[in-house]
Amino acid sequence: MAAYEKFVPEIPPLHEPFWAALRQHRVELQQCRRCGQFRFVPSELCPCGSPEYSWAPIAGTGEVYTYTIVHRAPTPAYQQDAPYVIAHVTMDEGPRMISNVVGCDPSDVFIGMPVEIVFDDVTPELTLYRFRPRS
Amino acid sequence: MPQFADAAFAGIAMTPQGDLSDRDPADVYWEVVQEALADAGLTLADVDGLIGDAPPGVGIRSALPGGAMADLVGHPLRFQASTSIGAAGQSAGIGLAALAIAHGLASVVVIPTVAAGGGSGYLGADRNAAVAHMARLGSPYEYVWGTTRVADYAVIARRHMYEYGTTEEQLAEIAVAQRYGATLNPLSVNGKRGEITIDDVMASRPIAEPLKLLDCCLVNQGAGCIVMTSATDAAAQGRHHPVLLLGWGEGQSYLDPCKAPSLASFEGGRLAADTAFGLAGVGRDEIDVAGISDHFTIGVIVELEAAGFCATGEGGSFVEGQATRIGGRLPVNTDGGFLSNSHAGSCGVFTVIELVRQLRHEAGPRQVEQASLAYAHGVGGVSQVQYGAVLGRA
Ligand SMILES: [Zn+2]
Repeated sequence: MAAYEKFVPEIPPLHEPFWAALRQHRVELQQCRRCGQFRFVPSELCPCGSPEYSWAPIAGTGEVYTYTIVHRAPTPAYQQDAPYVIAHVTMDEGPRMISNVVGCDPSDVFIGMPVEIVFDDVTPELTLYRFRPRS
Repeated sequence: MPQFADAAFAGIAMTPQGDLSDRDPADVYWEVVQEALADAGLTLADVDGLIGDAPPGVGIRSALPGGAMADLVGHPLRFQASTSIGAAGQSAGIGLAALAIAHGLASVVVIPTVAAGGGSGYLGADRNAAVAHMARLGSPYEYVWGTTRVADYAVIARRHMYEYGTTEEQLAEIAVAQRYGATLNPLSVNGKRGEITIDDVMASRPIAEPLKLLDCCLVNQGAGCIVMTSATDAAAQGRHHPVLLLGWGEGQSYLDPCKAPSLASFEGGRLAADTAFGLAGVGRDEIDVAGISDHFTIGVIVELEAAGFCATGEGGSFVEGQATRIGGRLPVNTDGGFLSNSHAGSCGVFTVIELVRQLRHEAGPRQVEQASLAYAHGVGGVSQVQYGAVLGRA
């Protein structure tokens, strides 16, 4: 496998279960034990004030809230993929998540587009989540 | 009771903007600080307060900026403070400087910014290094996907267009209006490139759709400095018509884009503007000229809305027909702004400098006639943290 030259995420201990689940091709978010709200990105407190949470699976489906088509990438490794889509997606459970939309032409992406998470094992240690169109 | 208006903008200065990679950053820092002091009729011996950055150098200077300055001016300072409004951090410091002066904590406060020298990162002259550096400022849940600062604002633009019908041509109005101002500003980076049209903006290459090259700020170096004193001292110097800070406020809203309730409007801007206008006792319709953070054209539209110059969603139609050009309904960023004047360092300093020129009636060919009240609005990050300030001609 060629060396992975894109940015590798810094993962503090609080966030590790999210990335560990991804390696097993599952998406788990924090769910508040007091109010039941899912939250993302990982954080130490629910907006309701409770620090108590569980990691709980989500369906991995949602719709595009907003997006951009990137032509000018941050580094040469990303530039190879340009033009590529970065979308903010409202997941069915409520939180928004950001990733690329793959599996379609960038010009086919629209706000409201139904998408689902797919997994991309970019290194043996790192699995990323991306979105693809859902019919 | 002490109030903001007890403090005045006594001195301003900026260097030529562009590529200063062959200059020592510390030399440029002292050059612009001394030039601003001279503009106020003062010298380094008079300085007893500092907002933000230390003179560039080694060791612990950056952690203890006031002490670093004391080393070099040869006397202790009475006041140092910093704000955390990103690229508007130094300019937002005008509020803290005014409070310090009004309460007798300091009498001469300098507010400098400098980007010079051969280093890389956002203060360097290397565009690729600056873009890569800025791309890493977000969380891992952003940068792993190949986000850039342009992409961060592009998603705001896209959502604003979706919710309110804002068009790419309306965004282009901002770039066109500000380039005109830059052509009248010999210190600007882009003025010599001449005027542009909406068609030019629309035809410029896409960077992160819907934002195109001419929707984006400059990447350049340069330096600027503001000096604040008491209004009484500024009037006694009599070098310029005094310009006062009438009101000021901050708003700090959601940092993580996934946690922001909306990516089409930001509560922080509303909080900042409401506080600033409230303290000043001034209405939006009284403002003659504005300086609004314009890292990207969409920023001006979103911030004009947040600051209350128009309703949320109406920023696009507000700027149509060159309404923000010199001579328009509300001239904005008359020096060219970050798009066409300068985006060096803590570039909000240049926004305030231009408003002070306007209120002194020293803006030359860019002068907004009879300007007596001005509004400054700055953002940090991707608009999450904002400040607003009302300035008045005494
Ligand atoms: Zn909760």
